Amino acid sequence: MSSTSAIMRREKRRLELANLARDPVLLLTVVLVWVAMFIFILWPLLKLMQAAFVDKGHLSAKALVSILSRPNNRLALRNSLLLGGLVALIGTALGYLFAFTYTRTNIGSLWRGVIDVACLLPLISPPFTLALAILFALGPRGLITYGILGLKNVNLYGLQGALLAEVLTYFPIAYLTLRGILANIDLSMEDAAFSLGASRLRVFLTVTLPLTIPGIANALLVLFASSLADFASPLILSGARFPVLPTQAYLQITGLYDMRGGAALCFLLLVPSLLIFAIQRQWVGKRSYVTVSGKSAASSGGRLTPPWARWLLLALCLAISIFVFFLYGSILFGSLVRAWGANHTFTLENYRYVFTFGRKAIRDTLVIAFTAMPIGGIYGILVGYLVSRKSFPGRSAMEFVSMINYSLPGIIVGIGYLLAFNNPPIALAGTAWILIAAYVFRYSATGIRATVATLHQMDPAIEEASTSLGAGTAVTFRRITVPLIAPAFFAGLEIMFIRAMTAISATIFLISVNWTLITVRILEGATELELGHAAGFSMLVIAIVFITTGILRWIMRRAGMSDYSAVAQIR
Amino acid sequence: MAKGIELEGVSKVFRHPERGDVHAVKQLNLTVQPGELVTLLGPSGCGKTTALRMIAGFENPTTGRILIGGQDVTDTMPNRRNIGFVFQNYALFPHMSVFDNVSYGLSVKGVPKAERRERVAHVLDLVGLQGMERRFPNQLSGGEQQRVALARVIVTEPSVLLLDEPLSNLDAKRRVQMRSEIRRLQRSLNMTSVYVTHDQEEALSISDRVVVMNLGEMEQEGTPQEIYAHPESQFVAGFIGKVNALPAEVVRVDRDEVTASFGATSFTVCGPSMSIAVGQRVSLLIRPESVDLSSEPDGPAPKGRIVQVTYLGEKAEYDIECDGAQLKAVSFDPARHGMFAHGQEVYLHMQGGSMILTDQ
Repeated sequence: MSSTSAIMRREKRRLELANLARDPVLLLTVVLVWVAMFIFILWPLLKLMQAAFVDKGHLSAKALVSILSRPNNRLALRNSLLLGGLVALIGTALGYLFAFTYTRTNIGSLWRGVIDVACLLPLISPPFTLALAILFALGPRGLITYGILGLKNVNLYGLQGALLAEVLTYFPIAYLTLRGILANIDLSMEDAAFSLGASRLRVFLTVTLPLTIPGIANALLVLFASSLADFASPLILSGARFPVLPTQAYLQITGLYDMRGGAALCFLLLVPSLLIFAIQRQWVGKRSYVTVSGKSAASSGGRLTPPWARWLLLALCLAISIFVFFLYGSILFGSLVRAWGANHTFTLENYRYVFTFGRKAIRDTLVIAFTAMPIGGIYGILVGYLVSRKSFPGRSAMEFVSMINYSLPGIIVGIGYLLAFNNPPIALAGTAWILIAAYVFRYSATGIRATVATLHQMDPAIEEASTSLGAGTAVTFRRITVPLIAPAFFAGLEIMFIRAMTAISATIFLISVNWTLITVRILEGATELELGHAAGFSMLVIAIVFITTGILRWIMRRAGMSDYSAVAQIR
Repeated sequence: MAKGIELEGVSKVFRHPERGDVHAVKQLNLTVQPGELVTLLGPSGCGKTTALRMIAGFENPTTGRILIGGQDVTDTMPNRRNIGFVFQNYALFPHMSVFDNVSYGLSVKGVPKAERRERVAHVLDLVGLQGMERRFPNQLSGGEQQRVALARVIVTEPSVLLLDEPLSNLDAKRRVQMRSEIRRLQRSLNMTSVYVTHDQEEALSISDRVVVMNLGEMEQEGTPQEIYAHPESQFVAGFIGKVNALPAEVVRVDRDEVTASFGATSFTVCGPSMSIAVGQRVSLLIRPESVDLSSEPDGPAPKGRIVQVTYLGEKAEYDIECDGAQLKAVSFDPARHGMFAHGQEVYLHMQGGSMILTDQ
């Protein structure tokens, strides 16, 4: 049997090649996408590995050994894993609380709106924002700790500070994942359990909870990976006693100018990240029980919670939401006073600074974001279309590679780009293109996934119908596929823009005298304790993101497209 | 111009992640004459849809050749085969109006706008959809969507028309109506057609020729009458209509006749193609409508007892226990001829001429 299946594999390969041979448009596209992926995804990773493991032309683990011999780095590895684990557990629990309250308690649309906004803000705001706000609310001279409670020796720095900031930053991701799953569970299954005599608790424990376990597992993994990769919150709130890997790698390079050491630290970060990526693909991906029956509209999820529990759940969600609003409110407040925490006289000075000394950063960021947006959007639907609709050799490898930059911590991608594009043959360092490429190949993942998901729901017969009526690959793609996946395209554009406005970890190494970013100005403001400026820049980013995504959604509605809910795709 | 279709030794093997290699179609040889409508009939998974999709070019055959109008199209892209394919769920373009859906094939082929408008109008008239040009697919009923799907294909004047279970999403009444409409259009436009279905009644009513498929292979091909009246295997007999299989033993073999006994009764049937010997256990196949029941014996006839009566208006169906075998019989117009009662003893009158002898 094995020999026949080997023959069949060859046969399949032959058919795929024949398919490419008779379809030149497809062949050309596949080749171009592979070339781009090699240059902008694989090549930087190879350069990073080379920096970490090749010493004078020989394979060597010297850099890794020397990195690991320093106690501070071993501590950073331990801390990163500890912080990631705690963020995953607490963040997923909070996400479940919010998602369950949203889908199973019949709370009014007003409260749902409140919950949604509280979860949306952390997803679209620039890094450092929540960390700064937490510093202001709960730090040594914080509004709550010092101003209201009068506490003197509050120590926020370390695990507690980073944990709080990361949980609040990332729990919305768990919320969106789990809400989608809870909302898609056919409520007639819960009703069936009720009709068979099960109590509420039993229905929850035996039906609802087991059906959401794949979602919980996924949320845990995603949050763990996000925390592992997070660079902004620890930089502000970890302090010297709680080093984590991304900040160590950053300091190794910017402080000690040790590229090899930085690359070796990145490798330490790479291993758990790739492990999570692999588990997610192999395990969670295949265990989705969610059933969309389309007939559950009449049922409502309120039966699962008794009234007292409903109020309790809502109160918990509201308390957390109010805390989030308070934190963002304090950023707004901080941007409008002379010196946050010391002199609370109203002033527009910070905004004057933002729009004069920050003008270049604003212009650069907008130019880069608006360039990356269409390129990344088109790249996203192209790759999504190829991997889900076309058969050619290396298709699943292409899908895998397309997700690599997204799955790796930004700091790894950034250092890889720095190593790969600093010198010829492709010397992009110092140009806007290195930043644009970093965004396109990292953040198009959402567009790719949205495209794959849309195409998955779309009957391939629709495209076959076009082909049978005489249209070739290119015409079918342009006239049939593109209009039908437009919502996914817009979702890709939206995320690309949000990320290009808010990214820091991948791009911190890629800015130059010629091209800088608002997020880098926020970082400078935060580390040089020009907090009013940092707050002003943060508010500006939030405003730009709100306005731009609002315009995109307006265009979509005008065109009669269904809302793909791009933000639900953020990870 | 109608063109013929030829399949020469066509096979298709799929790789299944769990089941390994699946031979969907095995060594299929098939010729469809120009203007003919051939039905591929079989249970789900018999390979009929795969065969159709290979003719269209949506699947590449693993082995064999496909010819349309005498030209080898095995390696030709579907969009260069000049086919018309009607999909099971219509596959209308949801973002286009009826007019845009129907004119799509013409616009892809570069037909000028004025001619396009004229031809679309003509075809919409033909399928009875005039005045619906501006509607979108989601504003149409199932039957109307079906007509758009047909119109979209017919308007391009394809050399062959391929239909993949086109009526399976319609209700029973609409299905009967649409199938005679499809047949009418196919005849009047003289389109060579291959029609895939699992519904035997549909196959019998619409086809010039029926190809019965099972497990990737052709079981039998012939006109609807041949297939129904002279099934060559128990599978074909059982798949096309209902059939009783009487366990029997061969008692005599003549040159072109075989006599076999079922219980105490002997039947003489036409000799089968297979070789046969006295004493062999065989099955005698007979359709329920060929079994006549009476309460009194009229010559030698096996006796049975009615165990279930199903009244269906224009006919009554009986389940009968007879010599340890379960048989079905049908009598038409029960209002006129009266009905037998549950538990009643009856005699089963069967003619050897209505029987087919097969392997057991």
